[in-house]
Amino acid sequence: MYLSTMTFVLAALPLILLLYYLVPQKWKPEFMLCCSLLLYGWGTPVRVLFLGAYICYDYSAGLLLEKFRKKRVFCTVLLIFSCLLQAAALTALRLVTQSDVPALLPVGTALFTLQGLGYLISVYRNDHPAAVRFRDLALYLSFFPTIYAGPLLTYGEFQEALSARRSNILTLGAGLSHFIRGLAEKVILGDTLYYLFLELRHADPAEMSVLTAWLTVVTFWLFLYFELQGYAQMARGLGECFGIKLPKNFHQPFLSGSITDFFRNWNMTVSAWFRSFFRSSISKTTSPVWQRSLAQVLSGCAMGFWYGTGPCFLLWGLIMGLLLLLEQTSFAGRLKKNYVGGLIYAMTIQQFTWVLFFADSLQEAALYWKCMIGFGSDLVDRYSFYFFNSYIVLLLICAYLATGLFRDLAERTSKSKPGRIARFMMPAVDVVLLVFCFAFLLYPDVPTAI
Amino acid sequence: MKQKYRYGTVVLVILVYAVAMVTTICTSNWHVFPVPTVQTMINGVWASQFEQFLAENVGFHDDLFRLKTKTDMLVGEKMIRNVYVTEDRLLEKIEADQNDGYIQASAESLNAFAEDCGVPVYLLLVPSASEIYENRLPANVVKSDQEAAIRETYAQVIGKVRTLDAYHVLSSLSDEYIYYRTDSRWTSYGAYCVYRSVIQKMGFSAVPYHRYVISHMSTEFRGDLYEKTLYDSVKADVLDDYHYEGGSSITGVTAMYADGRVESRGTQLNDPDALATDDMYQYYLGMPCDKLVIQTNLDNGKKLLIYKDGFGDCFIPFLLPHYSEICVVDLERMGMAYETAANPSDYTHVLFLSSMENWKEMWYTDTAGS
Repeated sequence: MYLSTMTFVLAALPLILLLYYLVPQKWKPEFMLCCSLLLYGWGTPVRVLFLGAYICYDYSAGLLLEKFRKKRVFCTVLLIFSCLLQAAALTALRLVTQSDVPALLPVGTALFTLQGLGYLISVYRNDHPAAVRFRDLALYLSFFPTIYAGPLLTYGEFQEALSARRSNILTLGAGLSHFIRGLAEKVILGDTLYYLFLELRHADPAEMSVLTAWLTVVTFWLFLYFELQGYAQMARGLGECFGIKLPKNFHQPFLSGSITDFFRNWNMTVSAWFRSFFRSSISKTTSPVWQRSLAQVLSGCAMGFWYGTGPCFLLWGLIMGLLLLLEQTSFAGRLKKNYVGGLIYAMTIQQFTWVLFFADSLQEAALYWKCMIGFGSDLVDRYSFYFFNSYIVLLLICAYLATGLFRDLAERTSKSKPGRIARFMMPAVDVVLLVFCFAFLLYPDVPTAI
Repeated sequence: MKQKYRYGTVVLVILVYAVAMVTTICTSNWHVFPVPTVQTMINGVWASQFEQFLAENVGFHDDLFRLKTKTDMLVGEKMIRNVYVTEDRLLEKIEADQNDGYIQASAESLNAFAEDCGVPVYLLLVPSASEIYENRLPANVVKSDQEAAIRETYAQVIGKVRTLDAYHVLSSLSDEYIYYRTDSRWTSYGAYCVYRSVIQKMGFSAVPYHRYVISHMSTEFRGDLYEKTLYDSVKADVLDDYHYEGGSSITGVTAMYADGRVESRGTQLNDPDALATDDMYQYYLGMPCDKLVIQTNLDNGKKLLIYKDGFGDCFIPFLLPHYSEICVVDLERMGMAYETAANPSDYTHVLFLSSMENWKEMWYTDTAGS
């Protein structure tokens, strides 16, 4: 059950929260686990079997790594086998989706694959012991607020957050507020932008105008941000309702002055995972330069593979890996001194590389790039003029909201008198947003993108 | 201290949920609640049905829907639930054809039917308003070419089936009130204009326009496109009744249903009670049924078997002065079982009347099934 459906928002969420606060403290983790599995299997119970198999494998592998810790060769082989097995499972499932098999595909596979691998790598590295209680690992891998779109926590971080949880009316209020705002970002902005993006995609890239190409890319860029940020905000909100503090996943990524900065601010927990678990498994800070460089590039490729299967995603990952390497070795200093130049550079790179996320093939991506650099059929045509005319205000508003400057402004003025008044108006604002969310959930224009 | 406003959030959200849930429970159409089965619970169908049930029955549904429509219009959206909103009318979205296999499938079937039944068979395909008012659609619209599809379908049945042209009649009268503003169907006037043109081909003279007494049965008709959008800014439609004093009188109306029920409706074809319901269009032929038999006091031996969709409802009254019996088979309810509904050889004429969009859908389903 997706978090942005009427069934969850109107029926499941109030029931879950009510029961959570009634369940005795010591049974709350079990209750959250039951809810997670029920929601995951809603409509397609067979998915729970798949998730269960994943959890059982990771649990058993973790215990084996713990038990045979001294046998490094065995542990290394087991870890490599687990990584390859789970990567192969992820690829196979994605290929199955592409061949139009109905929604038996377990959602959230990419995320709990990373979580599971991170858990095994942590146990291997002795960062923490293997989970003794099956429930602990099961809850970590299946936790319903985060399973769809993050944020991604390590096993240690999750256990810490779980044991430090304190739920009361204030955390419930804060959680509901964040959940509602995340839901609004997702269903009001994200889904509207996705619908607009799908309409723009009808244009033939071989014949489109320059403006159409840029509108398509910008719309996709904004849609992706609000979709993922909305979900992450919803997850944080739900976590807060349970008294669990989850980390932020986005922090003004579009104001990044370099690609390095961008990955520190975009899907932060996933980028951190690849830094901590993938790159550091291949090289250390004391490794030779060539090894560190290779690790950087491979890390980018791996991240591209994680985002999607296919040559476009691999190319995206390769480009990002190479740029990260170049920035760190060549022009990091120059970017730091010239923020505006860095901002333009980072934004331009993002626009061109997001094409790889939605193009069906490298050839199609090349056609989009050709249009974007000015070799479209025309600068502006009737099609693009219609879209520009109709949606430019919406796009500008979304672009401003995506920068996070509005949030910054609110935080800076929170101590002033108008800020204090605004804070007390927040409950009313949240309720208005909730009503709008109900309206937008009635008949979604497009199937949910996540 | 700083966070005390969070209490307000909790209280207000609980209040909103309480109101939403109570109104949802009280106003829901519980008799359409999807009953789960083991299969539907496993394959995800019940979950989708439950989501749809909840979305359609949530408290203050219409108000929420209007809120969404207004918000969409504010951000520049031109389409709400597959309905284009233009300045003065709502237009149904016509999907671009995935393939034109339905043209051949329908032609083959119709040709075989015409050969078997031994009486003249007529085909009248009606274009959608979106086809006639194509220039009012947004610039990005990709739609099928209904004119070409109608032309192609007619080309494949020529010789065995007599084709009747509605497209050129309607497109030449596009400035007139020939399609409803808030409904996907044509008006009685649009139906009359086509009747006037095609009835001669069926061997009759059209009743002149001035011989009709036209009554405005309702000036507040809002049709199926309005129901999908709840967009109030398009003017409501006028539902007209065309009555020809010098024509035949109805002597009997009998409705038949697939479950075997037979209902006698006396001598009344129209249903004035429908004007007080949400679906005023049912005024023309009353409650929908699978087959409707209308008998008149004419003694000319002419009997018509008409297979129709929703476009036929306001067209059929114009045929009453010409036939002693009209048997109406509803294609939308019967689907491909239409062939078993009546025996064509009992009639002197057979007419297929359908919108191009419904025709395509019916045959797409059939070709997909086969």
